[in-house]
Amino acid sequence: MSIALDFVREETAEPRSGGIGGSIVTVRGIAKSFGPIAALEGVSLEIQPGEIRGVCGENGAGKSTLVKILTGVYRPDAGEISVGSVPVTIESPRHAQELGIALVAQELSLCPDLSVEDNIWLGSIRVPFLHKKRELRRRAAETLELLGAGHINLDAPVATLSMGERQLVEIARMLSRDARLLILDEPTATLTDVEIERIFAALRSVKREGRSVLYITHRLAELYAICDRVTVLRNGELVATRELAGLDRSLLIEMMLGRPSDEMYPEQAPTEGGALLTIEHLTLPGIVADFSMTARRGEIVCIAGQVGSGAAEIISALAGLVHDASGDFTVNGRRLKLGSPARTAQRGIMFVSGDRAAEGVFRRLSVLHNLVATRLPDHSLFGFLHTGALRAAAARLAGHVGIDRRRLAAQAEQLSGGNQQKLAFGRCVGRAANGVLLMNEPTRGIDVGARAEIYRLMRRFCEDGCALVMASSDLEEIVGVGDMVITLYRGNVVGRYRRSEVSMHRIVADITHPPVPAP
Amino acid sequence: MSDETLPLDRLLPLPHSTRGRVLVAIRFFAVIALIGAAIATPGFFTTVSLFSLLNTTSFIGCVAVGMTFITLSGNIMAFSLGVTLSTSGIVFTAALPLGLVGAMIVAFAFGAALMGAQGFVIGYFRANPIIVSMAALALITGCATLITHGQGVYPHGTATAALKGFVFGIPIPLFAFVVSVVVAQVALSFTRFGRNLYMVGSNWRAALAAGLDPARVVLGAYVAAGLCSALAGILMAARYSGGDMELGIGYDYHAISAVLVGGTAIAGGEGSAVRSLIGAFIIAVCQVLLLLHGFSTQVQYLTIGIIVLIVIMLQTLADSSAG
Repeated sequence: MSIALDFVREETAEPRSGGIGGSIVTVRGIAKSFGPIAALEGVSLEIQPGEIRGVCGENGAGKSTLVKILTGVYRPDAGEISVGSVPVTIESPRHAQELGIALVAQELSLCPDLSVEDNIWLGSIRVPFLHKKRELRRRAAETLELLGAGHINLDAPVATLSMGERQLVEIARMLSRDARLLILDEPTATLTDVEIERIFAALRSVKREGRSVLYITHRLAELYAICDRVTVLRNGELVATRELAGLDRSLLIEMMLGRPSDEMYPEQAPTEGGALLTIEHLTLPGIVADFSMTARRGEIVCIAGQVGSGAAEIISALAGLVHDASGDFTVNGRRLKLGSPARTAQRGIMFVSGDRAAEGVFRRLSVLHNLVATRLPDHSLFGFLHTGALRAAAARLAGHVGIDRRRLAAQAEQLSGGNQQKLAFGRCVGRAANGVLLMNEPTRGIDVGARAEIYRLMRRFCEDGCALVMASSDLEEIVGVGDMVITLYRGNVVGRYRRSEVSMHRIVADITHPPVPAP
Repeated sequence: MSDETLPLDRLLPLPHSTRGRVLVAIRFFAVIALIGAAIATPGFFTTVSLFSLLNTTSFIGCVAVGMTFITLSGNIMAFSLGVTLSTSGIVFTAALPLGLVGAMIVAFAFGAALMGAQGFVIGYFRANPIIVSMAALALITGCATLITHGQGVYPHGTATAALKGFVFGIPIPLFAFVVSVVVAQVALSFTRFGRNLYMVGSNWRAALAAGLDPARVVLGAYVAAGLCSALAGILMAARYSGGDMELGIGYDYHAISAVLVGGTAIAGGEGSAVRSLIGAFIIAVCQVLLLLHGFSTQVQYLTIGIIVLIVIMLQTLADSSAG
C-alpha cells in the first residue's frame, strides 16, 4: 500500500522543494571521460526554479553527455550534483525520475497503440495497485490542459496524433510524474513551425508552474524564442552562461565555435548556365500535384516547405525512390524515366538523404567503404576490385570533403553527424560533368561549424557546371543558400523567387499559410 | 600511397567501447578453454577422431559458407538450404548417366536455381526471407517426395568413387570445403559483388538510395548459397552412395550455428566466410569432445543450442554498446 500512500501524499501536499532563491538542480565541476577522450571537464551550472535554460554547442561539445549524466545513464568521474540542496548520486534513469529529473526523449518512447491516457500513466510509480480511474483521468486531463493541449482526446490511440501532439503527451507524461526539471534534447527536429510554437507555449506553462526546463538545441532562433539563459559548451568545457536578452547572435556563434564566425553561406558566383534538369507536371498521388521546375547549371534550387508539404517527397521521387511518381523529366537534354534509383544514378543524378542513419550512410562499414560505395565499377576488372586504386580514390575523396584520412578505417557510425553527411556527400561528388545532386535537409542535426563546411561543399559542387536541388524546412538555410527558391504548401507551389527577391518573411508566409486562391 | 599509414585498428579491428572489448575477450578465452579441453581429453588428437571431426565439418561447413552469403545480405538465414542439399544430391545421383562432370554441373545448376528463385522473391518483392525459405522448404520437400515416392535414389556403377578419394592427401570433402571457403572469401573481399553484398546487408535503404541494385545483389547471395548447398549435396551423395531427402535434415540449423558462432552479425553486413569456417570447427570440436566423454547426441544438441543462445546474447550486447 505504500505506493497508494505515496500517491495520496503527492496529492495533498505541494511542497516546492528547493524553495525560493534555491536552485532546482546544481551541477559543480562535472567531468566524464571515455578512454583518453574527455567528453566533459569541469562543467558547472545552476538551474533556478521556473527557468528555461538553453544548452548549445557544436556536435561533440558534450551536450548529450551532460544529459546522460543528469538522467543517470552515465556516472560522472568527478564533480557533484545537488537536487534542491541535497547532494545526490544519480544511479539510474529511474532514480533520476524519482528525483524529479525527466528526459523528454528525442525518439519518442510512447506506445503507439495505447491511448493518450494510458501512455501518460504507463510505468508511472504514482499509479496505485488499485487504479483510481476517475482520479487518474482527471489529472491527465488537467496536465494536458496546463500544456495548452486540452484538445487532445484522452482515449485516442497515440498513433493517430501528429508528431507535435505526441511530444506534448510525452511532456505531460513527465509532468504527471512530478518532474521538476524537464530535459528536452533537440525536440523540434521533426516538427512543423506551428507544432514548435505549441511546444513552446507548453514549456512556458511549465515555467509558470515554477518547474524548470533544460533545452538542448542546434537552432539559435529557438534559444532566443524560448530560453532565459544559455549555457554554451565547447569541447566538453563550459564556455559561458549568459542571459539571452541582449546577447548578440554572432557573439553566441563565436562562443560555440571558439573563433569568429566566418561567413556561414559561401558567396555565389553569378552563373547563368543553361537548363540541366527540367521537371514538368510531377505528380505524387496524394502528396504533390503538378510540380514543375528547372535547375540550371551552377545553380542551387531550394524547395522550401514544412514537414509534410511534399518538398522532401519531390526530392525522393527525383532520386527514383517513389514508385508512383509520374511526370516528364529531362536531364541534360535527354528524357529520364523515374522509379529506379540505379537508372537515375547512371544518368548522373545522385541523392544524399536527410535521414543519414536510415538511408544515408552504411553505419557499420568503414569510412573507406562508404566513400567509394558507388565507384566500384570504375576500379574493377571483370568484377575484381583494384583495392589499391580504391584506397587512393577514398583518400582523395576524404581530402576533398575534409575528413581526416587517418579515419578511413573507422566505422562510419563513429563519425559525428556532420562528418557522416560529408561521407554521403563525398560519395556523390565528381561523378559526372553534368551531375545533379539531390539533397533532403542537407544539414539536419548538424552543428554550426560543420554546416558552413557542407554549404561550401554544396557550392563547390555547382561550380563545375552541375546543379543541386534540395528540400529544406530550415529558413536560414533556404535564404542563405538557395539561388532559386520554390515554396511549397501542402503539395502546391506557392511562389518562386530568385536569390535577390527572397526574404525570410515571404518564405514563412508561403510555407505556413495556404495560398490565396487566384481571383 | 606513401602517406597511408596502417593504424592498429586495421590490423586488429577491436571495438571501441569497453563492453565491446570485454565481449571480444570472452570469445577469445572461450576458444582457449576449448583448446585446453581438447588437449586434456585423451583420444582427441588421434587420427580417427580428427578425421571424423574434419569429415562432418566439411559438409556442414559447405552449407555454412552458403549461409554466410545469406546472413551477410541482411536476410538472417534460410531454412531451405538442407532440402536444397538433399535434392541436389538426388539430382546429382539421377544425372550420373551424363558422366560425373555433367552430373555435377546439373546439380550445381539445380541448387542455384532453387535458391535463386527464393532470392528473386526476397530481393525483388522484399518478402520476408524466413517465411519465403520456410515456404520453399515445404514446397521442395513436397515436390521431391511426390517425384521420388519418398525413396532414395541410388547410382548404378561406381562413377562417384572418384569423389571419395583424396587430393594432396586430403579427403575430397574437406578439400572441397576449404576451396569453397577460399573462393567465397575472395569473392567477398575482392570483388564488386562482395562489396555490394556488405553494403546491402549493412543498410538496404542506403544501398538503394545510392543507386546500387540491392535486389540483384540479394539474388546473387542466394545463388551463391545454392551453389554451396549443391556442393555439399554432391559430396554427401557420393559418400553415402546415393541421394535421399534425409541427407540434409538439420543442416540449415547447424549451418546458421556455425555462421553465428564464427561471429558473423545476424543483422547482416558484417562477417566473413573464414569466420564461418572457424565457427564450424568450434562446433565440431565441441561435438567430438562430448562424444569422447560419452555424452549422447541429445546432449550434443543441447550444448549447441546453449552455445548459439550465448553467442546471440553476446552479439546483442555488443550491438547495444556500439551506439
